[in-house]
Amino acid sequence: MSRAEVLRTLVRRELGESLRSRWFVTYSAVFLAGAVALTLFGLSGSQVYGYRGFAKLMAGLVHLALLFVPLMALFPATAAIAGERETGSLEYLVSQPISFGELFWGKWLGVSLAVSLSLSLGFGFAGAVAVSGGTPWQLVALLLALTLLLAQAFVAIGLLCSALARSRARATSAGLILWIIAVGLGTLGLMGLVLHWGLPRFIVTIWAFANPVEAFRLGVIASLDSDGSLLGPVGGAWVTTLGAGWMIALCLVTLLLWTILPTVLAWWRFRRPQPRSPL
Amino acid sequence: MIEARGLVKRFGSRVVLDDLDFTVERGRRLALLGLNGAGKTTLLRCLMGLLAFEGSVLIDGVDVATAGKRARGRVGYVPQRPPLFSMTLGSLVEFFSALRGIPERRIAGRLEALGLPLDETAALSLRELSGGMVQKALLAVALAADPPVLLLDEPTANLDPQARGEFMRVLRAVDEDTTLLLASHRLDEVEMVADRIWILHDGRRVFDGTLDELRAAARADSWLWIRTVQERRDDARQKFIELAGEEAVMANGKHVAVQLPAAARVDALSGLRQAGVPIEEFWVVGPSLEEIVRGFFVKGGSGESR
Repeated sequence: MSRAEVLRTLVRRELGESLRSRWFVTYSAVFLAGAVALTLFGLSGSQVYGYRGFAKLMAGLVHLALLFVPLMALFPATAAIAGERETGSLEYLVSQPISFGELFWGKWLGVSLAVSLSLSLGFGFAGAVAVSGGTPWQLVALLLALTLLLAQAFVAIGLLCSALARSRARATSAGLILWIIAVGLGTLGLMGLVLHWGLPRFIVTIWAFANPVEAFRLGVIASLDSDGSLLGPVGGAWVTTLGAGWMIALCLVTLLLWTILPTVLAWWRFRRPQPRSPL
Repeated sequence: MIEARGLVKRFGSRVVLDDLDFTVERGRRLALLGLNGAGKTTLLRCLMGLLAFEGSVLIDGVDVATAGKRARGRVGYVPQRPPLFSMTLGSLVEFFSALRGIPERRIAGRLEALGLPLDETAALSLRELSGGMVQKALLAVALAADPPVLLLDEPTANLDPQARGEFMRVLRAVDEDTTLLLASHRLDEVEMVADRIWILHDGRRVFDGTLDELRAAARADSWLWIRTVQERRDDARQKFIELAGEEAVMANGKHVAVQLPAAARVDALSGLRQAGVPIEEFWVVGPSLEEIVRGFFVKGGSGESR
């Protein structure tokens, strides 16, 4: 069996597993319903306020994505390794003529594809309506790219938790704690802490780009609102300094790094037989 | 053929496999015995390259450490605990035939031989099947690729007697060139399949021989059972205790048993007759594998490599 054939077989299975997952289907359905509802509101808003009204309602879609996209990615990703370890199927899979690397990348690709397909469905519908309502397709494509990257970042985080944890429950708990920190501790919340404890202000700036959720939020709002009025104090200052284009590019790079680094770490943990096996 | 040189496996400071050197020839049927924690499962995992280890292992001439994927292509494996895949039996066949690069009909044929015709069972979810049925499916997957090496880690531990019988019948019929390593706790399985026995203890091979040689080394005697009348049961038990000691005697209802060498059985029965204990029936039962292994450790002087 060639590497490509093995990967194709593993990806197909992982994709099917993710798409059959109860949690994944639930979050995907909620996201799709939310996207449809917001799009319909956006359409009526754009008739009254024009493109600007639509852009503000797209920001609502972004906030929906902030909550649901990480969860949609975390559940299948945290189950991918730790869940199979618990059921004994991981050991059986690697006893087959496949390499540890093929199994890992098969899982990564399968989960990534499942999450991307589901998001593209929800966002694709909203985007098609938006484009037909006069929104530039480039903007819709940029928003979709940012959303997919946010999802991939949390797939990577989930896979890392899954590779490190001894059980699915621990992997999911670790992923959810990271999600709560990322979503709950936004820039404004952190500024409160900075002011309360007298911490240096650059911490807020670093946090804005160290946190994938915040990077996504800033990137999306910068693309919808280039004057920075909706970005908050940190984002507004960055847009003024860098310009919206560089600001968006910086957010894309941040999300890309959040996708690559945890994935590489997870692969490093899983890539070969260990003294304490990853099985 | 399996070759291991200087195989050492440590978990932290604990040595689980201690400098094992061995060759298992092609076509050999080897039973791996040992108490819990002796290192049987760890050895099988090392042979498949699922754990990092010191030393070298070749499966059919392929180095497990440097070419794990190719080596595992020469192995069929059935674990002790059936993995809980969330798929149907039909999907399992499709998935593993694709993964191993073999036609689905070969797995289906093996399933049929194991009493699981795919046309009737394809839609069944693995999570709804009994542990025995899943183990049969895994055996079918393992056999379908005709691997030169079969590794079986107590595969019938969760099977009922009928399923165990079917499983072992199929195992007995595997190609005579196939090298088979069976970790087991059951004497009937070992007798049925193995032509050689190893005992692992504290990560070392402390016995390598046939079952008869193990019996001799363990000096584990068979049980002589008699059935007498209820009111004379205690007299029979007392007579046996005088002969072999209390540890070698057990009683249940009208039945009394004594564990003693074959040469002493006639004397034991004569003694009962002379004491006026009626014997309605008698029979001999061989020692269990646990008794043989325990006997090996207690009487056989374990700890030294043979």
